[in-house]
Amino acid sequence: MGGNLYTRRMGDDYNTIFRQCVSLNTELHKLVPLAKQMHLLSSNAVSSAARAGTEGNAFRVLTQDIQLLGDEVSECIGDTQKVIGEIVKLASQLVKQFSHYMIYMDLADRLEDKKITSSTKFFDRGHHLVADELRSNNHKLSSNLGMLANLLSPIAILVKKGEYLAVCSSVEAASAGEHGVSFEAVSSMLRELVSQLRLQSARQRSLLRDLSDAIEKQQNNQRYLVYAR
Amino acid sequence: MRVEQLYKKSNHSWMVMGRDAERREEVIDTNHYLIQHNGQGLLLDPGGVENFSVVAAEFSKHFELANVEAIFASHQDPDVISSLPLWIQANPDLIVYMPQIWVSFITHFGVKLENIRPIPDEGGIINLAGHELEVVPAHYLHSSGNLSVYDPQSKIFFSGDIGAAMLPEDFTELFVTDFDQHTQYMEYFHRRWMPSNTAKMRWIAEVRKRDVEMLCPQHGAIFKGDNVERFLSWFEKLDLGSAWSNVR
Repeated sequence: MGGNLYTRRMGDDYNTIFRQCVSLNTELHKLVPLAKQMHLLSSNAVSSAARAGTEGNAFRVLTQDIQLLGDEVSECIGDTQKVIGEIVKLASQLVKQFSHYMIYMDLADRLEDKKITSSTKFFDRGHHLVADELRSNNHKLSSNLGMLANLLSPIAILVKKGEYLAVCSSVEAASAGEHGVSFEAVSSMLRELVSQLRLQSARQRSLLRDLSDAIEKQQNNQRYLVYAR
Repeated sequence: MRVEQLYKKSNHSWMVMGRDAERREEVIDTNHYLIQHNGQGLLLDPGGVENFSVVAAEFSKHFELANVEAIFASHQDPDVISSLPLWIQANPDLIVYMPQIWVSFITHFGVKLENIRPIPDEGGIINLAGHELEVVPAHYLHSSGNLSVYDPQSKIFFSGDIGAAMLPEDFTELFVTDFDQHTQYMEYFHRRWMPSNTAKMRWIAEVRKRDVEMLCPQHGAIFKGDNVERFLSWFEKLDLGSAWSNVR
């Protein structure tokens, strides 16, 4: 059946999408311990600020911001994983639907070859239904990709926020007298965590670009294969 | 692909389709049956997704498939019923008869419960445009939920995998001509795929209660006339579940 070649090609496209989703998901999972460490750091900073008494007031405000940063990172991950799951589900449905589309194409060719007109209309219904499902799921796939990009974009802002907090905590450490040592330890740890977050953010942007390219390629191929016949 | 009429009398007919030469080598050859009564159709074991377009195109030459109101699945195997979503996409009102125990499994193919008419373990009746077909239990032969269909008018007994044969490529006959020669194509299949001698004896007794002119399996050649009883006698003596003995 001629459809097998097309279906295989589409299968390859979807396999790429699955692989990209898995890679992105793996990278996103790496943010979980990072967010946890931010929480832990914030708890340590609270103790340091308490020991410093009134001298630790400004630092206490910073600890809340560190905790908030950790919360925002966690929130980002939770929502993106849902969207990635949806993309994988849509891609797998599209593989099945595209295979059905090609089978109906093959049937239409056979009916035409044998000049059978009686059942053509009957099977056209299935053919159109599958084509509609393909269009709708491709639309959903694009919209989920957009959603994923939107959800990941705050991570770059969180990196900036983290860098700013690290600078502020260094400044506080410098002006905190004898308590400055423990404040500086918190600040140094925060710098390290933010640096890891920056690295992760860059990797995710690159993986998201790859995923976006893979989805675009699949959609172009599908358009070509469906309309070229 | 061969399509032949097995029976035709006024408003009632049976058609078989088999020996698909176009199929991929690794795909088992399957027989598909279409019963027509008063212009309405019932497809028995319509086949896998692999050969949907061939089955639909071939039957379309002889029957307006928009008038197929129902599909019967003898059991849950992919070569029997994996084309189901394609039939339902073309006709969302299609009725699907299947063994009750497989309902929650076959729904994995994407079929909705509203299309399904589960048939209980004890069998029942299928009404096709006013014509009654008997559904006979064939559990464990080979599937644990397995059904056969008997048509009292044509005296055709659709046996699913019972009587199936793994035929060589050059075997193009639709009917068994030399029974003794034919057993070599059936023996391993029945001994390997079918586990229960008790179920076998029960099923044979059910068949013998009926007047059977043709016994039609889902794979291989059809038994006609005296070959029906020859098959039953051969099957009766066969030790099922005995092809694999690698138990240590």
